Amino acid sequence: MNSKKTIFVLVLPGLAVMVFAILAPILLSVYYSMTNWSGFGAKTFVGLANYKEVILQDKTFWRSLYNALILLGVTIFIQNVLAFLLASVLIKLSEKLSLLLRTIYFIPAILTVVVISKLWVNIMNPNYGLLNKVLNSTGLGSLAHSWLSEPKTALGAVIFITVWHGFGWALLFYYSGLTTVPKELEEAALVDGAGPVMRYMKVVIPYMMPVISAVIIIDIIACLKQMEVVMLTTSGGPGNMTQFVAYHLYEQAFKYSRYGYGNAISILFVIIALTITLLAKKFLSGDNGND
Amino acid sequence: MISRRLKNSASQIALFLFLGLIALAQLFPLIWLFNYSLHKSGNLFGKAIMELPSPPQWVNYAKAWTNGRIVQYFSNSVFVVGISISLIMIFSFMLAYACSRMKWKWRSSVFTIVLLGMVIPIHTTLLPNFIWFKQFGLINTHLGIIIPYIAFNMAFSVLMFIGFLQSLPYEMEESAYMEGAGLRMILLKIIAPMAKSGFVTVGIMAFLNCWNEFIMANTFLATESKRTLPFAIIRFEGQYSSDYAVQFACMIIVAIIPIMIYFIFSKRIIAGVTAGSVKG
Repeated sequence: MNSKKTIFVLVLPGLAVMVFAILAPILLSVYYSMTNWSGFGAKTFVGLANYKEVILQDKTFWRSLYNALILLGVTIFIQNVLAFLLASVLIKLSEKLSLLLRTIYFIPAILTVVVISKLWVNIMNPNYGLLNKVLNSTGLGSLAHSWLSEPKTALGAVIFITVWHGFGWALLFYYSGLTTVPKELEEAALVDGAGPVMRYMKVVIPYMMPVISAVIIIDIIACLKQMEVVMLTTSGGPGNMTQFVAYHLYEQAFKYSRYGYGNAISILFVIIALTITLLAKKFLSGDNGND
Repeated sequence: MISRRLKNSASQIALFLFLGLIALAQLFPLIWLFNYSLHKSGNLFGKAIMELPSPPQWVNYAKAWTNGRIVQYFSNSVFVVGISISLIMIFSFMLAYACSRMKWKWRSSVFTIVLLGMVIPIHTTLLPNFIWFKQFGLINTHLGIIIPYIAFNMAFSVLMFIGFLQSLPYEMEESAYMEGAGLRMILLKIIAPMAKSGFVTVGIMAFLNCWNEFIMANTFLATESKRTLPFAIIRFEGQYSSDYAVQFACMIIVAIIPIMIYFIFSKRIIAGVTAGSVKG
């Protein structure tokens, strides 16, 4: 039954598609990254020159990593914390109310990034946008901005849109994680006589660590590969303030015809994503093991 | 313990305020969008935060529908997404079965490749695939985005199916093998029906991913006639840049399908997330 032929038939289609559309292109990318090809015509082999340039001279590359780090910080410490708190409240409500609220909170998360980005471009529009109108009508008119085009606010605005869009997922992850916490665990903690917050920290959060680390790993990848919101709102501007790695490599290749160079960024991006994910997995699960 | 705390009315009010505020933050932007999709474009420049349209300009929707070529984009989306999710379900089910129920030499290597699909960002394949697919004539064809859609949905689908398969009893398969049933028979007649909810979950998650996908479609599809639904918005923005109300109507039309799917299948989506988050 476990004949080679059967396994081959079962595994081949899925594996072939993955090799064709993920593995092969990444290997090709390694090759292209060592050329100064424009995408058309002749290529010249330049060795590691592109990598040297990215690492030593490309300020936008470092800026984009820095932006990803800020986005990750906001995601973990604001979005995730808020989602966790909210999930902890929702789980105590009646099933009907909880379901209604969860449904509402999750709606933005199921919409395409195009709708979300353009929605916020309109809300943040300085001439007719909702945001400035709200500020003006509450006497906070001095805070009105051209949110997505001013250097001071652009990155914050992009981060806000991204975090807002992803909020429902974070909430759903934590909510479904909390449903698996055994009742006895919480009740047992009651006996300790510690305050409710303390109990929560001591009992529920350690139990939830696998879920929390899973969400954080997903967040790390999501923040690194942020691209669509930037592309559809600020195009990385003003002056590369809101640039992210994926959009940077895209622009280098398709806007400036530096295809080889774009591939070098791409490969560095793969290396960074793999390294950080592995480190995070090790670190987060190791942390959990010590408890 | 918390319920005792809830009886305290002040904290209860604070709690509901908190819940309501977040609901408002998540929903009001969309309500605002819908409201102004029914106005005349100029009304958007008024001072009020929001006014109800009188009378509602449903004509905006008619305009968005025809000028936005919604039908064409929509049928492209249905075609691409329909084929993608069918193949994702079939391929990932087969792979998951081989990985969880059978023993073979290369299993862990294959599994590593599958997991890589979870970690490698799609964006790093955009550049090489643009040239690679060109060599096979796949650029600007629907097949050229169906293939990467399948590839990038394999990882979590396989993991999800493995989760479902592990929860299924092994005895029925075993006795079927004893009676000499073939593998195809067993998969189709015994396993697939039992893993039905797994298929639904994988299908919906893959649907949301593919239906909403933008960057690969933007990179690999060049002509209007090939493009998928999110482009209706982009195209509209370019061509009717001052016709805000109609742009808004177009965005609402694009948003409505995933919302409907979500309302029908919200339980399945939650089950999918639970399965995914427990795996880690």
